Parts: sequence; C-alpha cells; structure tokens
Amino acid sequence: MTKLVEALLKQLKDNSYRQYRTKETESPILYPVDLFGFNMGCGKPLKGADGGNVSPNYKRIITMGFDATRKELTESISAAEDEAKKEYGMRMLEKLDECIRVCDEYRETVRSNRRLCNALQNVPHKGASTFYEACVFIKLCIYFLRIDKAAHLGFGRFDQYMYSFYENDKKNGVTDEEIFETLEAFFISINYDSDLYTGVQQGDNGQSMVLGGFDKEGNSMYNELSEMCMRASLELNLIDPKINLRVGKNTPDEIYVKATQLTKQGLGFPQYCNDDVVVPGLVKLGYEREDALNYVVAACWEYIIPNSGADFPNIRTFNFPLVVNNTLHQKLNLCESFDELLAEVDSAIKCESDRLIQSVYGYAEKNQPLLSLFIDGCIQKLADMWRGGAKYTNFGCHGAGISNAADALAAVKRCVFDEQTVTKAELLQALESNFEGFSELRNTLRSCPKMGNNDAEADDIAMHLMSVFSKSMNNRSNGSGGVWRAGTGSAMEYIFTAAKCPATADGRKASEPYSSSFSPSLDVKTNGLLSVIQSFTKYDMTDIINGGPLTLEIHDSVLRNDIGIEKTAQLVKLYVELGGHQLQLNSINRERLLDAQKNPEKYPNLIVRVWGWSGYFNELDIEFQNHVIRRCEYLG
Amino acid sequence: MQGCVFSIEEFSVYDGPGIRSSIFLKGCPLRCSWCHNPEGQRSTAEIVRSPNGCIGCGNCINSAEKKNGETVFTLESIKNCPKGLLRVCGEWMESGALCEKILKNRKLLKNGGVTFSGGEPLMQSSFLFECLAGLKGQLHTAIQTCGFCGEDVFEKALLSADFFLFDLKLADGAQHKRYTGVSNEVILTNFSKLAQSGKDFVVRIPLIPTVTDTAENTEGIVKILKENGVSYAELLPYNKMAGGKYKMLGREYRPDFDEGMTVNIPKEIFDKNGIAFKVL
Repeated sequence: MTKLVEALLKQLKDNSYRQYRTKETESPILYPVDLFGFNMGCGKPLKGADGGNVSPNYKRIITMGFDATRKELTESISAAEDEAKKEYGMRMLEKLDECIRVCDEYRETVRSNRRLCNALQNVPHKGASTFYEACVFIKLCIYFLRIDKAAHLGFGRFDQYMYSFYENDKKNGVTDEEIFETLEAFFISINYDSDLYTGVQQGDNGQSMVLGGFDKEGNSMYNELSEMCMRASLELNLIDPKINLRVGKNTPDEIYVKATQLTKQGLGFPQYCNDDVVVPGLVKLGYEREDALNYVVAACWEYIIPNSGADFPNIRTFNFPLVVNNTLHQKLNLCESFDELLAEVDSAIKCESDRLIQSVYGYAEKNQPLLSLFIDGCIQKLADMWRGGAKYTNFGCHGAGISNAADALAAVKRCVFDEQTVTKAELLQALESNFEGFSELRNTLRSCPKMGNNDAEADDIAMHLMSVFSKSMNNRSNGSGGVWRAGTGSAMEYIFTAAKCPATADGRKASEPYSSSFSPSLDVKTNGLLSVIQSFTKYDMTDIINGGPLTLEIHDSVLRNDIGIEKTAQLVKLYVELGGHQLQLNSINRERLLDAQKNPEKYPNLIVRVWGWSGYFNELDIEFQNHVIRRCEYLG
Repeated sequence: MQGCVFSIEEFSVYDGPGIRSSIFLKGCPLRCSWCHNPEGQRSTAEIVRSPNGCIGCGNCINSAEKKNGETVFTLESIKNCPKGLLRVCGEWMESGALCEKILKNRKLLKNGGVTFSGGEPLMQSSFLFECLAGLKGQLHTAIQTCGFCGEDVFEKALLSADFFLFDLKLADGAQHKRYTGVSNEVILTNFSKLAQSGKDFVVRIPLIPTVTDTAENTEGIVKILKENGVSYAELLPYNKMAGGKYKMLGREYRPDFDEGMTVNIPKEIFDKNGIAFKVL
C-alpha cells in the first residue's frame, strides 16, 4: 500500500474526507467527494429513488465524452419526426447539459488539486485517455446518476471495459504500481458518502463489480486488471465494490485460492457465478447468446445484461412458505394422499404466479432520461430505457423460502401420510396456535427430512416446487415488451414477507425469518457442507436463473491458514462442477458477532454479508443482525 | 457390527490430505487435561445440550435427574426443549450403514477421503476394521490416533488404513501419565511400528501452554522424531475455546495448567534439529 493510499484510507475510516464536501477546503484527494459541487451543498441524505438495478454503459460514455454524446443526441433529435420523441430527446439533452454545467463549475473549485484539475480539462467533455481519467469520469457519472435518483447501479464488468485504458497507460510507460495506486484510490472513493445514499439498510447501495468470465470460445477473460481488483479488495478490506467472480469448469485452481483469501477477510464476497449454468439459462429466456455471455449481476445477485438491458429483476417475490401454508389450511383435510396434496400445491403455485404477473402487467418505471443516456439504443430511438429504449425489459420474480416450503411438505408427507404419527386436525391446530402447547409435535416436525441433507425425501419436493414455479413464470409476457424469469433469491423478503407468514409445517413459528435466498432453513442442522452443496445443485438451475445464491457460512477458524484456504477453494470448485449457479460464502465467527451486539464500540469495522450485499454490523437493524447470527448457529 | 459414533464432519479441513470427511468414534482411554472433545471420552451415549440459542426456560433441568451431584438430562429433557437444543450424543450405527453414508459423498471425496477420529477410534477396533474393510478400494482412509492400544490391534490397523495421523503429546513417561492418565510406553512402541511400516503418516503435537510447549518436552519429542527418522510434524496450538463443550455435557472444565498463558511455538528447537513443521 502506498503512502497516498494509506492516507486516503485513514481519511475514509475517520470520515475526515467529508471536510472536502465544502468548497472552502482545498481537496488533496484523487476523486471528487459529494456535495463538493454536486449536491449543491444541501448536505442532506438523498431520500427515495426512481428505478435502477441496471448496469449502465459507462464504457461508451467515458470513451466518447459528454460532447460527442451530446452531438449524437442533438443529431438524433434533429432527425426525428415524432414530436414526442423529440420532446423526450430534449429532456435527455437538458439533463446532459446540466451535468456538463455542474462539471465546469466544479473544475473551477478544484484548481489547487493539480491532478484532478488536469483530468477535468479533458473529462467529461472529451473521452478519457488514461486509466485515471476514466476512473474520474465514472466517479462523476455515479454522482450525477445518484442525484438524478437512479439507485443500485453496479460497475458491471469493470475489468473488461477498463482494460483498454489500462493497456494504453502501460504503452505510455505508466507502471503497474502506479495504475494499482489509482485503482485503490478509486475503490476507496466509492466508499465515500455512504451516509448520503442509503438503501433498505446502510450498505445496500448496489455497488457490485463483476470480474472474470469466459468468452464465446470458452477462453478465460480473467486478466491483469481482474487480478488487480482482487488484490485491491483484499488489501483495502472495504465494503465496496462488492466483488462477483464469474467462474466455470475451466477456472484454474489458483483463482479459487485467491478468491478464498478474499473470503477470509470476512466481507462476504466474492460471490461466485457459474458461467456454465448462467449463460445457457439466460439463452433459454430469450437473451441473445452474445448478450448472455456478457452477463453481470445487479445490486445483489440478479443476472442482468449490461449496457443494453433494462430488466426489472426483483419486481416481485414469490412467497413459497405462505403458498404451501395456505394450501394446507384450505386443502389438507380433503386430500387422501400426499400426491393429492402436492397437486393442490401445484395449482396454488400457478394461481399465485398468475396473480403476481397480472399485478404488474405492463408496468414501467418512471422515465429516467439521464440514466437512459447510459443504456444503448435510447439515444438513437429517443426512447426511455423502460419504454422501448432498451433491448431487454424482462421482469424477475424472486422465489423466497424454497427450503422452508420443501421442509414443510416433507414433514407433512412423513408425519401425516407415510407414518401417520400426526393427524391432519392436530397439525392444523398446531399451526393455528403457533405451536403453543404443541412443542412435542413441533419437535417431531423438526426432526423430519430437510433440504440440505442430500436426502431425496426433502430435495425431491424442493425440485418439484422449483419446476412448477419456473414453468408457471418463465418466458410469460410481462406486458412491457419482455418476459418473466423465475429465481431463487429472497432479498430482504426473508425477513419482511416472513414476518407476515404464520407458523409453517416445518416447525417454523409465525413471523420467524426464512432462509436467506437459496439456503437450508434457519435452525436446520445439516449433515455438513458436502450434503448441502449436493442438495442445492440437484435441480437444473438453468431453469430458474433470475439469481439468488446458495449462502454458506464457514467458521473463520477453517480459513486460518493456507491448508484451510486451499480446501475451501476446492469446495467452491466442487460446487461449480456440480452445476451450482451462484454461491455466497461467508467467513464468520458467532462469538464475535454476539460480542459486537453487546459492545458495538469495540467493532466499528466489523463487516458482514447481509443478503446480496455486505454492511457494517453496527449499522444493521437488530433483526438483520440476529439473522446473520442464527445462520451460523451450527458452525464449529 | 455396531459402533458408537458421536459426530460426522463432512467437510473436515485439518484431518488429512484433500477434502475429507471425519468420523468421530466415541470412547477414549486417555483423559487429557486439555481435551477439547470431551463428548468423545466416554464409550456410551450421553445427552448434551447446546448453549447456542438457549432461552433459559429451565424445561430441560426440570426433567433431568441428579446423579452424584451431576445433572443428567433425560429423554424427557430432549422432548421438552422448545428450541430443540438437546440431543443424544453418540449414535449406535451398523458399519454397513456408516460406510453407505460416507460413500454417498464419494464423488466429492475423490481427491481426499475419510478420516476416523475420536475419542480414540482404535478403542472400537473391531468396528473400525469392519468399516475400513467396507471402504477399501473406494476411498482413501486415515486413522487419527493417540497410539494407545495393544500392539496386535495397532499392527492390524497398519494393514487396514492408508494414512495415519499420530499424536505425540509428552515425551516423558511420568508427565504423560500425569496429564493424560496413561503412560506413553505402548504409544512409543506403536509409533516405532508406524515409522518402520512404510505407511504414509503425519505426527501431530498439541501445544499446551507450560505442559507440552516447553523446551524440555519439545527436545524430548524431537529426539523421538529423529530416532524414528521423522522430519516433519504438525503443531496444534491450544485454543481457549477448548473448555466450551464441557458445559454442554453438564461437566466442569478443570484444566491442570494455566490456560491463560500464551502458547509457545518452539520454532528454534525444530529448526535446529532440521525438522520442518506447520502450525495448524
């Protein structure tokens, strides 16, 4: 770490960087800090957001520059005949001009910062010519987009689109060390101002970054820059950017080892995405192969197409446990066999899918003229990204609580039908009374087969549920020029919708959380990690590819030395070979988390993975803290 | 034949080469003062209570029995825990069923294998040998042992498994007796047999502050290693969490040493004698 990076890191940690938000102070740092020109000194957190969760084409904008983009836009407007289009084009132009004006003003205020000021002589008017200018340009874009209320924008395939700038710098004699310093300073800078832009929880800001992957011939695209990003993340130990690593059957062992070293930091990333599953899965949903090969993740883990896509991958959540529970209450008494019950569940899944689809049929986000400039096709078509401008406008539906639902049905199958140790009336009464006075029955339910134990009894039911769900959703029209995609994610719904779900037949009490995304139910003691990865890779995941990772907690003592790191890396490799689509591996220490709840002041820098993102433990609401703790109840 | 298994760890990282599963057999002839697996000591099944997530309702205690001043949980205690935190530790399993369970993950264990640990796995030697025979040719097998067993049993073990993890704790016989309850005489005899057998093995030395991590003991252990032509050892520093499981069993952890002391890694002595080591 260079002296400069060390100083910047210190400023970030003690929040002293915030002094540069006022115009009076000379800014000695490499990248702009918010409010220093941009937010016009209002000094207040920005509440609310319009659409987002897309991966903007930073590459095009930072290569062309605002002037050339403006020229393209004005030409498109002059050539247009349709008045509405012209008008929309003018709105885009207004936004762009506002950005240019603010930047010109801003440049005047940083005169004393020679390096930044020099960069601002070129960007954003002209395209970036160096790696540093490209970073500054992106940083400017991020602020403009955020102020314009575009939320949850990731960095996409940063290692790919920044590579030409890296190469060019190298040609001009810039050393790797210098580029690395610029990169580290950039990573630090994207952690600025987290107090101003909050998501559902602080840290939920969508700043994901995707590294690696394979091209259409199957060649690895993990390059020197991917390596630098991994190294910077390891060295800096910061929440952002949240690293996602695209892997596949040809990923070499040493990349898994490097990634596991990053896991050891306890930040909850990298998250792994398996190209061998994701790409064919996206093709099945109608994406062109070329686009599918270029996939990235949205804010958390939803697979989206960068640059040209305006998918809405988390527009609805399918609440599996609730659907199963309602079916039990309405139909169990009428069913003579488990198969009859399962058929009723199938119908309920189809009905609920229909309902979800109809509830947002033809929905589109508010117009976002500034963000649309960053989405391919919008300038040419003078159309908003959500309304015909983008190439893809598909909708994604999360599937929350799959394991809880499968466990519930497995328990009903065994206790009510196979072994008949519990009567239908008893079960329904126990559920209605939230197991009050039924603790023995509840323990019986809890001792039934569970998803995650590589046990066909529970896993087959889970596979069946996923199959019915994906068939009820996938490729159906969304009325907005796209189709639906079924997924395995939960986002915050493992807490929020679960809070509204009564007691379930897996033994879960009313309002208790579900598992986070695609994981064994909370409080289930599984046979171990080998069984878990087998359970969660049985289903053909290309069928249910909206995203949503298997989330595993590993006790941090496992990663204490190179033996543990190497073997954990091998475990990830096995998961990928088995056909898993996405994996989030967390290194965690329960005792430390409990201590942090009691003595937060001792742990100002403790970071944990929450759902699709990582946050400071101290900044999370108590129910999210507790979920993280419970996830590791059964660890070593 | 049935054996008593107290834990199966599917993804066990520090018990031999590659990705391995570890099978923990119940029962141990030693009573090491620092034992961190106390549930492996007794040969019979017992009820344990996990402290994690306990809400302190007292249901389990109310259904427990008092024996010699110890609280002994009953099957009623298990049933009455609203959080399901009590369980029977020690499952009697047929060797065939255990092998089947292990082999279910065979594909994932192809570059590693299975390690039988404990307790002391050789305390259930007939059961262990049945299991090893059942796995022969299908998985790489290892035994993690303290070496305290009859020479005949150990010779048979040498023919039955592919790899050994052999613990050497204290070089001095009297000290060994004081801290583990048994003399190390047969252990050292068995260790020589292992060294001469041509089998793959690794020596493991627990580093217990002021007990095994002293210069004197290290010199003694190093001498044993050199006499047997061993040039590599793995060191396992004492972890203060060791006492955690005693509470689960309703027992008190009373180590016969000051566990607050920092563990000494006797690097110089190993280096001086040309013995490579790794701290786990």
